[in-house]
Amino acid sequence: MNIGRTILLWIFVLVSTSAWSNVFVQWTGGAIPPATELGMNDLVLSWNDSFWSQAKEARKQGYRVYVVTPFNQAQTATEAVASGVEGVILSVRQSERAELEKSLPKLQAANPRIRFLVLNPDGKQPEMRGSLVIKRDSVLEVSSPTAQPWIDTNLALVKLEQRSHQGQVPLYTFSWNEPSDGEQKPILTAADYSLAIAEAGAFHADFILRPDESLQKALSEHNAGAWTLWNQVRTYANFYSNPAEQGMEPAANLAVVLDNLDPSDEVMNLLARHNLPFKVLGQSDLDRGKLEGYDVVIVFAKPDQTTSKRIIDLATQGKTVILVDADGVYPWQSRDAVRVNEHTLSYPFGSGKVLELSEPVTDPETFAQDIRRLLGKENALISLWNGLTTIAVPYRDAGTLKTLEFINYAEEPLRVQVQVKGAFASVHYETPERKCCESLEATRHDGFTEFVLPDLRIAGRVHLNRWPDD
Amino acid sequence: MRCDRRRAAALLGLFLSFASIVESSENPVLVYKKKYIMGTIFEIAAYDQSPQHAAKAIENAFQEIVRLDDLLSNYKPDSALSKLNRSAHFQTQRVPSDLYRVIDQAVQFSKLSGGEFDISVAPLVNLWKAALRGDGTPSLAQQKEVRSCVGYEKIALTPPDRISFRSPCLQLDLGAIGKGYAVDRAAEVLHSMGIHDALLVAGGSTILGMGTPPNQAGWWVHLRDPSNKIDPQVLLKDESVSTSEQTAPSLLGNGSAGHIIDPETGQPLKTEFAVSAVTKTASASDGLSTTLLLLGPTKGKALVKDMTGVSAVWISHQAQPEIVNGGPQILLGKGSQTPVSLGKNQ
Repeated sequence: MNIGRTILLWIFVLVSTSAWSNVFVQWTGGAIPPATELGMNDLVLSWNDSFWSQAKEARKQGYRVYVVTPFNQAQTATEAVASGVEGVILSVRQSERAELEKSLPKLQAANPRIRFLVLNPDGKQPEMRGSLVIKRDSVLEVSSPTAQPWIDTNLALVKLEQRSHQGQVPLYTFSWNEPSDGEQKPILTAADYSLAIAEAGAFHADFILRPDESLQKALSEHNAGAWTLWNQVRTYANFYSNPAEQGMEPAANLAVVLDNLDPSDEVMNLLARHNLPFKVLGQSDLDRGKLEGYDVVIVFAKPDQTTSKRIIDLATQGKTVILVDADGVYPWQSRDAVRVNEHTLSYPFGSGKVLELSEPVTDPETFAQDIRRLLGKENALISLWNGLTTIAVPYRDAGTLKTLEFINYAEEPLRVQVQVKGAFASVHYETPERKCCESLEATRHDGFTEFVLPDLRIAGRVHLNRWPDD
Repeated sequence: MRCDRRRAAALLGLFLSFASIVESSENPVLVYKKKYIMGTIFEIAAYDQSPQHAAKAIENAFQEIVRLDDLLSNYKPDSALSKLNRSAHFQTQRVPSDLYRVIDQAVQFSKLSGGEFDISVAPLVNLWKAALRGDGTPSLAQQKEVRSCVGYEKIALTPPDRISFRSPCLQLDLGAIGKGYAVDRAAEVLHSMGIHDALLVAGGSTILGMGTPPNQAGWWVHLRDPSNKIDPQVLLKDESVSTSEQTAPSLLGNGSAGHIIDPETGQPLKTEFAVSAVTKTASASDGLSTTLLLLGPTKGKALVKDMTGVSAVWISHQAQPEIVNGGPQILLGKGSQTPVSLGKNQ
């Protein structure tokens, strides 16, 4: 997708920015409980035959109602406005993004009073992923016997959405994983719902939660167990609804420059899993943007003449620029190169360099480890120990690290050691279960601060406080 | 933590009270669960008429692994292993029976491999782990100093439960065998609760097949294939397979760091092979796969041929497998419904 056109497109799109992360609940069946009981005010209904009666009931129960529709039915769904909906959510698959660029401005122009939100429905259920594959004939197999523990995370998707519509809050959803043939249907737990909410909250994204139909039915029927579960889930939604932290931006010292915004790209998933904070840029950003804060820039796009000059500028400033699948003639190639290995040539520029990787990234795991090594210990914004199932997202305010959001995909209490760049006077910790804030013992050395999260179950937040005279 | 678990269990119980699930059925139902323990993901898939009973048995099996992690971890400062690593230098220490058994088995593998497999390699592993994290390649002097701490023959075992180190700086790391031991103990828990058909997986690299899936001859397991051309498979029935492979070489750097250290050289092992070993127990397959990776196919095949009921395969990126089929047949069958067997000892 052309990134420049995408930005223009998003000027036409209005999204909710009232909080740093908002949870919408999609209701598909059964009587709708009052909004005060559900504890979430934004309800999403599908555009189908029962929409009108459901919308009427939902408004009566105190909800702000949204209608969600596949992108190709957007025009007819605008009729829903007559029911008093707050907005029309367009579910747009990756393959429809190009069509969206053409059609949405027309749709917006034809319906100027309707608030359109664009939904990425291609998220994945966040979870700690195993290696077992259960096949149709009930034979079980194991793939990649030496693979490291893995997690399914939506961080890369959110990063791409943030680039696609800068200044807007990404909105995504996912379908719960289906059981394999012969497998007992897993029961979604409070932890599963909480993890989904926590992930979106930690990444500062909006999210549509789809409660399982049996849970919706049980909530409708006032089942005590279902409500106990839901109240657990609510504590997570509340945890991320604090507008006091609005305005912070994700911290990153690694830039990833892309031509195509493909959220299935495993390289970005691996960068996320290795806790390498990165920002997605388009080639145009590289040309005109300020990149002082980035230590390493990975270029997956084919550089044009302007970008090539910019790459040399960056390397001259002491940065490491990695050109992946470098096939072409570039100005730095007139310099002497150092052969790093069979795949890679290095062109030194003082303390900076341009690394040309002659092929696509065939092993994203190894590539992510390489990037951490290239950043060097001195430039590692954050490092975790015992954190293979944990993702940390740092946020900064006015250039200073202020908050760290943690998500543990194992859904069980974990003691995680953390090292963060910077010397901080104090470190405070809160979780949805243990309200703000517990002071953590921190040690400081060589410009870094270290502390231990005592019991990261699903979500946690750390507040970093500078010395008063800093 | 205990409080959270009890609350989670109570919530699950409440939810089950309204969720429509089948209490039991004539046909066995597959129940699958996973849990993060020992720094990796353990998975268990078990068949039983009662999914509730299978779920309970799996939870108990996981709890057994958690218990063992509290003994065998070198990350947890209060584990029995950590205490041993701090206090057994020239002093005999009494240790829990599980820790003694794992170390005893590991020493047997060390003897079997002439020292190629060595659980005392921990100081070297830590040195090279730091290199993997960006500390730079350790100097020869650093390597020499650390190598003087290594050597399984410096571990003194006195049955039934006493251990001392005949070195001032020896440290043990059970990473190459601890997960296999945990899988064996978890399988015992499942058996004790009447679960006889289950697949247990530790981090994807050690797998134990108990019994068989319904109407099947065993559990088909696809093995690691660096060439992506061979698709080696093995059918497990009360057997285990483990795979070992060195960390992939850097794409952007020229370092040679890797997580498997050759005690002989004191440096990361240089090998292009992935090795899978099939044995009766997970402890044995776990220890043997690392041993065979360190030995390489020539010495390794000779070792396996001397063992009873053991199979092994070495596969390189060049797709030239070296197989010893002394136990369950390892078959090669990419894209084939009926994989082709290369036969025994090829």
